[in-house]
Amino acid sequence: MTDQQASPQLEEQESKYAKSARAFRDNVTRDLANSELRSNFRGAMDYLMDKRKAAFCEETELETLRIQCQQIKQRCLAKLPILLEQLEDKLTQNGIKVHWAETTTQANEIIAQLIEAKKGKSVVKGKSMVSEETALNDYLAQRQVECLESDMGEYIVQLAKEHPSHIIMPAIHQNKQQVAKLFAENIEGFNYNTDVDTLIQQGRSILRDKFCSADVGLSGVNFAVAETGTLCLVENEGNGRMCTTVPDLHIAITGIEKVVEHLADVPPLLSLLTRSATGQAISTYFNMITSPRKVGEKDGPKEVHLVLLDNGRSQAFADEELRQTLQCIRCGACMNHCPVYTRIGGHAYGTVYPGPIGKMISPHMLGLEATSDLPTASSLCGACGEVCPVKIPIPKLLLRLRKESVKPKDAAGEVMKGQGAGRSATEAFIWKAWALVHKSSLLYQLSMWSLTRFRFLMPKNLGPWTRVRTAPKPAAKTLHEQLKNRKSQASTGRG
Amino acid sequence: MKHSEKPNIEDISTSARASILAKIKAQVVGADYDKLPQENAFVYPTLNKTEQLAQFYLHLEANHAQVIKLAEADLASVISAELNKRAITSLLYGKNTDYATSMASLAPQLQLQAYDFSIDDHKASLFNDYPAAVSSSRCAISATGSIVLWPDENEPRTLSLVPPVHFVIVDANTLYPDFQSLIEQQQWQKNLPTNVVFISGPSKTADIQQTLAYGAHGPKELIVLLLNS
Repeated sequence: MTDQQASPQLEEQESKYAKSARAFRDNVTRDLANSELRSNFRGAMDYLMDKRKAAFCEETELETLRIQCQQIKQRCLAKLPILLEQLEDKLTQNGIKVHWAETTTQANEIIAQLIEAKKGKSVVKGKSMVSEETALNDYLAQRQVECLESDMGEYIVQLAKEHPSHIIMPAIHQNKQQVAKLFAENIEGFNYNTDVDTLIQQGRSILRDKFCSADVGLSGVNFAVAETGTLCLVENEGNGRMCTTVPDLHIAITGIEKVVEHLADVPPLLSLLTRSATGQAISTYFNMITSPRKVGEKDGPKEVHLVLLDNGRSQAFADEELRQTLQCIRCGACMNHCPVYTRIGGHAYGTVYPGPIGKMISPHMLGLEATSDLPTASSLCGACGEVCPVKIPIPKLLLRLRKESVKPKDAAGEVMKGQGAGRSATEAFIWKAWALVHKSSLLYQLSMWSLTRFRFLMPKNLGPWTRVRTAPKPAAKTLHEQLKNRKSQASTGRG
Repeated sequence: MKHSEKPNIEDISTSARASILAKIKAQVVGADYDKLPQENAFVYPTLNKTEQLAQFYLHLEANHAQVIKLAEADLASVISAELNKRAITSLLYGKNTDYATSMASLAPQLQLQAYDFSIDDHKASLFNDYPAAVSSSRCAISATGSIVLWPDENEPRTLSLVPPVHFVIVDANTLYPDFQSLIEQQQWQKNLPTNVVFISGPSKTADIQQTLAYGAHGPKELIVLLLNS
């Protein structure tokens, strides 16, 4: 017994998204220069904003629903530990096995082994942003398991070896000509054709074969109902239903914040979700899964598993203000209305979740060291907060994240991984000096005097500022001096 | 003791569970749930049956579903005619359902097949051999034009999903104004089946350049047979 060995530990690796998020500034430069990309996003965002607007024609209904849904999500978060335990109990009673993962690697390993236990070789995936978060496809590929995306947008993105650029419409960065070219290059026997119906039917015929033959179906979850132990999925295409019905094994993965207390909490959330996302009163399919196939039933998976992932969510949970991040129901309205997202597109962020929600949640998942630039990529215009169906004060949270990223590393009460990563000694010194100057009237006058008198010393090149602007030129006299002159002129000039 | 090559996922899950719950529990110690604010729902105007039906119809049509109002006695002839229009010669249906007997009077050239087999042995055939299916529904929702299906052993989940044309029989008397009132009145939280699905149109996608295309993965056509007595 002495040679008893514990099972090997999992090796945690840095997320690939940390690397791409660090390259944010370069990504932005690259994508801003791509006019085709910019026009694809502009068109798509205009379309989605119009759709949403048309779906909420009554202001009081929208506001009542937003307040109600904010309160529902805040209640469910306030009770999160109880609800997670209740969800686990109920699901277990219903025959659905629950797994917990703190890190993305843990989640991936759990899923990989569940698949291996069934000797699974092929997986069809419904849309799941959480599985993007864990980079599940890469992990399974290393284990010789093929993972095929079945949402049309995700399928296109996978074929192009890219990542989703939008959480609801993953291939929004591509136009139909680009998709046609992609299909012609990658699908045998497909001739370049930009007719959208033809393209979709091509995808359909390939994917239906895969649904039929896949060993495993993988899906995300929109709402997990603690009261009944039910997994709710919202979709239009039917691929979610295929993945959760046809293969023998269904594995669902979701973040711990997706749990809701009552079944009665679902209708208002669902109504706001689909209307905020795509302007639909409801999606084509709303799928509620409460158990695996029961005796006598002729289809449905024989086993259903749910993987609950933390990945930084408990860090956001620990701070009352930042906890609001977890109210998010992933509708995408914040990115659709974001002037920054519309211009730089979804890939520039380098993170799984782009746009305002991405700027808010990625620092918890990847740490501020990799993401300290993201919260600064906002004009704080406030559009995201205004359209958020669960009233997350996004601009306020972005300001908070900016503060966390420049807070000294050793300051008490570290609330975030990578706190202080964005701190620059020069910047800190400049602000200190600025504060000092503004506190003493003598110093203030002296500095203003020198600034105006030595204005010829102002350099022409001020780094990024002067790349697209001319350098500012201080006035010859300070405002105080000018006003003084005016007063004396006024008193002597007239009379 | 046997040395396993892989980390044990039960162990991973157990320790992750303990750690996650400990972290979040520490944040809600002493929380007073009685102090949570009162949540108020929006009160929608009450519609009469005719208005509800009109709303139901409007939503389904907007979502590209075909709605045919008919009497129960005409089910077989209407389905036969619709299949004939599409040059479809077979129909998959559910045994022991309310409509099963009336299927006997389908046009004689139509081949009728009950979904009385397990999907396990018939996957390929299910995907390839059945161009159309008919199913019943439990009820419907007018606010969103949704049809509610509770699949069971007579009408499996894939009956309404895999065949490219889906006929669904909806009784106008089972129309509810909205999702909320439906679950309240039927007390769904007490007993949910394996699967419930709301269907509000044929399968669709706008994933390529926001252009709507129907028949993404599920049925290309949804034909609602609305029984209005």
